[in-house]
Parts: sequence; C-alpha cells; structure tokens
Amino acid sequence: MSLIEVKGLCKSFGNLEVLKDVSFTVDEGEVVVIIGGSGCGKSVTLRSIELLEKPDKGQIFINGREITAKGADIDSIRREMGMVYQSFNLFSHMNIEENMILAPTRLLKMPREEAVAKAKDLLKQVGLLDKLHAMPQNLSGGQKQRVAIARCLMMEPKIMLFDEPTSALDPTMVGEVLATMRMLAKKGMTMIIVTHEMNFAKEIGSRIMFLADKGVYEQGTPAEIFDNPRKEKTIAFIKKLKFISMHIESRDFDLMELHGNITTFGERYGLGSKAAYRLQLCAEELIYEMFKCAEDEIDTDLSIEYSESEKCIRLNIDAKGKEYNPFALSEDDEPMGVMIVKRTSQNYSHSYVSGTNKISVEI
Amino acid sequence: MFQKFYDLLIAGGAWLTILEGLWATVQISFFALVLGTLLGAEVCAMRRSKHKILKIPASIYIAVLRGSPVLMLLMLFYYVVFAKTDMDALVVAIITFGLNTAAYIAELMRSALDATDKGQVEAMRTLGFSGFAAFRYVTLPQAAEIAKPVYQSTIINLIQWTSVVGYVTITDLTRVINNISARTMQPLFMIIVGMIIYLGLSYLVTGIFALSDRIKKRKAGAKK
Repeated sequence: MSLIEVKGLCKSFGNLEVLKDVSFTVDEGEVVVIIGGSGCGKSVTLRSIELLEKPDKGQIFINGREITAKGADIDSIRREMGMVYQSFNLFSHMNIEENMILAPTRLLKMPREEAVAKAKDLLKQVGLLDKLHAMPQNLSGGQKQRVAIARCLMMEPKIMLFDEPTSALDPTMVGEVLATMRMLAKKGMTMIIVTHEMNFAKEIGSRIMFLADKGVYEQGTPAEIFDNPRKEKTIAFIKKLKFISMHIESRDFDLMELHGNITTFGERYGLGSKAAYRLQLCAEELIYEMFKCAEDEIDTDLSIEYSESEKCIRLNIDAKGKEYNPFALSEDDEPMGVMIVKRTSQNYSHSYVSGTNKISVEI
Repeated sequence: MFQKFYDLLIAGGAWLTILEGLWATVQISFFALVLGTLLGAEVCAMRRSKHKILKIPASIYIAVLRGSPVLMLLMLFYYVVFAKTDMDALVVAIITFGLNTAAYIAELMRSALDATDKGQVEAMRTLGFSGFAAFRYVTLPQAAEIAKPVYQSTIINLIQWTSVVGYVTITDLTRVINNISARTMQPLFMIIVGMIIYLGLSYLVTGIFALSDRIKKRKAGAKK
C-alpha cells in the first residue's frame, strides 16, 4: 500500500485555480522531487498533504488514514509526517534542546532524560551537538535547517516533506543541508521534496514530478525527465535550466534581466562570480556592438550554454542586418567593447550567413 | 530645607494623609490594571475573531474608549450611570480606568500577536500539536515578550491618569497634595513632593519589569 495517496485534489485561491484534479501516490522508501516553474502549485501540493492548505475538493490518505476526512484526528495523522520549511521555523524563544524535546515530551509523554539523549544523538548525526544550548538566532541558516530536520526526526516520522529547504540559504550553506537530506534518503526515508536545486533533484530523486497546467504534467525517473523529457512544457523547462536564451528587438531591452539570468546560471554551474561577471560583460558589449549592423529593426538572438565536458561557456549572438564583423576592425578603430571581449574570451569567431551575423565567443 | 520638610510633612502628620492618598492611587491603578488586562484579552480575542458579530462590537469599543477622555468617562459613570447606586467612588474609578485600559491593552495585545511568526505555529501544527497548544507554547510567550515594553508604558500612563479621580470625591495622591498645599500655602514644595512620589511609582514599575527580565535571563543562563 502506498504511504501517501492523493486523489482528485483541487485548490483555488479566490479566482485563481492552482491545482485541478491532481492525483498521485508515493510508496514507502520513495524520494519524490517536485519541480516546476514558480506559481505552479508545488508548495501548495506539499502543504495540502500536511493540510496546511485546505483542499477545495479531493482526498488525501496518509498511511491509509484520510487526513481530509471530516472529524479526522489531524494532529495524530500529522505525527506520521515531518515538515521542513524554507524559513526553518525554529521556535525562536527556546534553545535548540528545548526546540527538539518539546514535541516528544508533550505529545508522546517521553521522559525528559530520554528525549534529551535522543536529541543529542540526532544532533550528533547532523553535526551540531555543540549547539545543544544555543539559541536559534545564533545559528547560521544552514545550521538552523539541519536542526529543523533533526527536530522533525525526534517524532520518528514515516514521511519527510521538504518545502524548498535550501531556498532561503546562502549558497555556501546549501551543501550541508543537502548532505543531511542525502543521509536521510540513504536510510530509506520516504521523502517529498520541493526544490530548485536541479542537480540535487537529479541525484537524489527516485521519481521526478514536473508540475504544470495545474497538475502533474509529466513524471518519471530523473533520467527520463532531465535527459529525455517527452512533453512540450517539460522540454521547455529543462532546456531553460541548461541554456539562457534571449530575443532582443529593441535598444531598450531588459539588460537587468539578462544579468540576473547570467548570475543564476553561473551559480547553478558553480562558475564563480568572476566568470559570471566576465560573461555579463561580454554579452552586454557584444549586444550593443551588434546594434551597429541593424538596418531598421533590431532582431538579435542571444544564447548562452555551458558545456560540462569541455568546461567552457559558449556565447552565441545572431544579429540580423548587414554584414559587420566587429573582430576584423583595425586596431585604431576597434571600439572599447570589442577590446574587452577579445581580452576576456578564449575564442571568438564571426560568420555571415543569409543576412545574419553569427558571433560565437568561448569563455 | 530640612526644617521645611519636617514642618510640612512630619510635624502635622501630613505624611500619613499622603500615604492614604498614595494607597488610593495604588489601589485604583492596580485593580484597574487587572481588570483592564483580563477584559483587554477578551476584547482582543473578539477583535481578532473571524465573526463580524464579535469583531465589530470590539472595534467600536476600542475606538470609543480610546477616542474619548477618561475623565469624561469617569464623570459619566459617577454622575450618571452609577449615580443612583451607593457604589463607592473608588470602585467606580476602578471600573472606569479598567474599561479604558482594556481598550489600550486589547490593541497592544493584537499588535503583539500579529507580530508573531506564523511559520512557527505551522511548525507546531505539523509536529502534531493542536492549535491551542501551538498558541500556548509558541505564540503566547513570544507575543508577551513583544508586548512587554508597551505594556509597561501603558501601566505608567494609567497611574498618571488616575490623578484625575479627585473630580469624583476620591482623595488620591494628587488630591491630598492639593489639599495640603492649599492649607499650608506652600504649593511649590508640595507639588514637587507629589511629582517625586509619582516618579517613584513609575520607577517602581520599570524596576519590576527590569527585574523580571533579569530573572528570565538568569534562568536561561542556568540551563546552560
């Protein structure tokens, strides 16, 4: 029997329909990773399982018990699950020890000594034993999240739910939390994870669920979803993770958006801030440079991809217009922007094919 | 100076009258605070309710009581509402100031509760605690901590506002000071004495709060 069964879940906020007739099951030991664009209902799905959002329609069964039933003992069903939040939600007026023993001593009537021993054991597993008496505000984000995970484990849940557990963290602290989650997965914990860490999803997930169009749009193994997505929106979503592409039609294009995308792109592949900065610089200079070839309307496509095997970033710009090779100018005429690009890139080339200047730069 | 102090306050036994006045002030303040806190919690609960039947009366109560001078309310109660009863003026004052303080306390409790972190309540609920337990163990202690400084200044305000009870025949600290200064023709000296006593009361309140903070900190420290 499946540990979680969701049947015909519907949820709207006012006029906005978020989930429509969503059904899925999660079996024991599965690690299900929910991915999807923002506002696609990932978090709502997860929160519905805990009944933090009340579904408009549909049923949810946890380990055979229906949490959505009228008169269901919600508190007792919830004890089978642990939930980890983006914002940690440690009890800020209690120290770590009190945070951890509160639930088992009050709800399970566990003797205090036993609870403290258990808390120490779990803190040791997440590497925070020395923080037993610290207050939450004195911990770093990563430490707080590890404590939050340990606090859930105090209740020995059968299922762990993670709602974007690393989204509020400094990039340097993401690793420690992911490591803790990996440890749980290794122990066979049933988990549902909502995350934007795609590499982690690929690595840890036994099943990936892609949410779009108010429901589960496509699901499958990580290989199926990340390497061979079949449906249109999944393909577009996965492609967007690997490439940056932008179509420019006006001199006043959204440069900030491009910079932002490059920063995220850089973080995702661990390029470091220097490389990301160089990429931003090259992209910006080349886009402005290629405006020169435009005749009346600007029609430029930009794409950036990262080749993991060659460890290089390729920046392509296709600008429609008359032929113009920015790299073939004499040194005196060479604009500043082109000089910068030449200095910062490893390879650059230009070709003119059927009314389009194709520029390719490797960084 | 010392001679004056002795002549005015000690020799004629004036200090005993002052003490009696002080006692009236303290009584009114204390009981009005207790009443105001209990009632304020009720009003706050009503104000935060989802039902309009509870919410609207609470809003009106808060608006009216905070929007009108407490002296007007006192006169209304003493000369009109309770005029026909033989209720003691002191009790009328306690009720008046209790009702008035309740409006302020309801608002300070509401803002403190609103300022608490809803995420921590969710964490309590998903651990398996009931809504009441989440309130009792997380929301309440955190809201109390937030409300403390405002509560403290509400108390000090209350004490000072009780100085108007002389209007309804109560011989409180202000009235006593006034009487003695009229009798001895030494208003400057007596008013300064009166102000110092009020100041002392305020400091006493501040001291009690500071002490409670210190005890709490020591407790937290002892656990380490």
